[in-house]
Amino acid sequence: MSMPQRVSSLILATVLCTTVGLVVITAAQEEDRASLSPAQARRAATLIMARCAVCHTTDLISQQRLPADRWTVTVEKMVHWGAELSKDDTALVLRYLIIRNHPGAPDDLPTIEQELAMSEPTPNQSVAASDGPLTGLPARGAGLYAHNCQACHGEGAAGGVGPTLARNLILKNEGAFWETVLHGRGPMPAWGAVLSHQDIADIHAWLATR
Amino acid sequence: MANVSRRAWFTTLVKGIGAGIIVGRGGATREVAQQAEAAEAIGPLTVRVTRPFDAETPVREFTSRLTPNERFFVRSHFGPPPAETVQPDAWRLTVKGLVKEGLSLTLKELQQFEPVSLTAVLQCSGNGRAHHRPKVPGVQWERGAVGNAQWTGVRLRDVLARAGIKPQGLHVQFQGADRPALPTVPLFTRSIPVAKALHPDTLLAYEMNGRPLPLLHGAPLRVITPGWMAESCMKWLTEIMVRADETPGYYMQQAYRMPETSIQPGSGLPGSVMVPVEEMAVKSLIASPGEGDTLQTGPVTIRGVAWGGESSVAKVDVSCDDGKTWEQARLLGEEQPYAWRQWQYLWNSRRVGPTAILCRATDTRGDQQPPTSPWNPGGFLWSGWDRLTVTVAA
Repeated sequence: MSMPQRVSSLILATVLCTTVGLVVITAAQEEDRASLSPAQARRAATLIMARCAVCHTTDLISQQRLPADRWTVTVEKMVHWGAELSKDDTALVLRYLIIRNHPGAPDDLPTIEQELAMSEPTPNQSVAASDGPLTGLPARGAGLYAHNCQACHGEGAAGGVGPTLARNLILKNEGAFWETVLHGRGPMPAWGAVLSHQDIADIHAWLATR
Repeated sequence: MANVSRRAWFTTLVKGIGAGIIVGRGGATREVAQQAEAAEAIGPLTVRVTRPFDAETPVREFTSRLTPNERFFVRSHFGPPPAETVQPDAWRLTVKGLVKEGLSLTLKELQQFEPVSLTAVLQCSGNGRAHHRPKVPGVQWERGAVGNAQWTGVRLRDVLARAGIKPQGLHVQFQGADRPALPTVPLFTRSIPVAKALHPDTLLAYEMNGRPLPLLHGAPLRVITPGWMAESCMKWLTEIMVRADETPGYYMQQAYRMPETSIQPGSGLPGSVMVPVEEMAVKSLIASPGEGDTLQTGPVTIRGVAWGGESSVAKVDVSCDDGKTWEQARLLGEEQPYAWRQWQYLWNSRRVGPTAILCRATDTRGDQQPPTSPWNPGGFLWSGWDRLTVTVAA
């Protein structure tokens, strides 16, 4: 990836942002902005697909070319509006965007989906079986579902812009279920970077009760 | 809510937006376009955002006076509501707030008011945002988030007269049926001052170019505030509330506001007073030839449109030498308030090689399109000279 090279010019132009609210940037993080490791970039892209794409597709993000201060305000606004990002995740996504979609970035950046497809998956993304059997906890799954899945699949798994999951046949085909959740399918983003295997097992267990 | 119908809505939406979509760097966009090519005809449109669907009209379409519904730009914050919620049986328009008598009207009841038709330009405030330097956040619209359509509906003031505005009522608030994916996202709620609401040309429109308003354009009813930018033209309208003050909340108090006086480009959110975006600025576009076209030497008809918001277009100038000299174009047809005016200029191209063609309009108030618009942090109201490059071949 050419990301580190791209960044040097950005850094010169980057206004040091004194931030407010949820996005707190320490001096150490500021230094760190110069680069992201491939694994960090991959995780940031996955977070964007899981968290930002709940409300809008990533083409809206890819077309932006913004300085650090405006990215900061934008990401902060999205977190305030309900983007499910922890403090660390917010800082990572923000760094990714500042490095990638800066005012001098070329017009023809690959899409976030294309970048993700080109990058190496991290080793722990294989299907659940490698972790041994997991026991899903439906009560925990209900909360995870509400935070992560409900925006598209609807309250009570009754469907929305995404398919109805209550009594969906995919629940009986665990391989297909795990494959879809971990790696995505069609418009559904990959959740492997966001949900642990225990989380997915819990969501599956809760869905099975619907 | 019935699962089946919600899914049907999504399917319809995907089909509806898919066919004929051109551009789109995103693989996903292209995929959607390919999948839906066989679906009902819509487009061609240039997709800016796949979901919620935002797409602009290629400017070559503006060689026609009216922009067809299926080629009209589409913009919303949350996408259309499920189709069944805006079906005539389920849909009601509520009028409430500072009124003597609240109303709840079916579409049929609403259509008992005197019908009115007018042709008006509808333009997204962010149209041309991509031209601002430094760049600003938001959908990077280029030239085509605008269109000219005939709107048929009833006067908002007739409906408000039935309800009876109380003397304290100074703003009229609109709410549509569209909802964000997350309940923590603020609703798109807007208000206009009562003077604009009571203007005889401000409509509640149920037809677009003689056909029922399509879902993507606000079915069954939308506001049309002729001469004002499109964020006042609430789609999927379900509620009108008369209030004493401007609507609170993000989409009225933070978004769609401009600095009252010009500010330093690139400066942050300004300390200067921000006022709501309202009226359009005088503007013109070149519809033909197209960007990058190769032309033969000899006569070339340059065609375009120009509009002036609440004022009229007085003249359009064209330059075929990158702004060194300007000639007046011929305005076609009759002036009609709020509609755009088509224009033509016959250029006798002699010099072989690349050149820039520019146009700029002047309205009857004497306002002229500037070379570039004043920078503002939201990237609103771009009205700089339109410009394209062509090559003249021997």
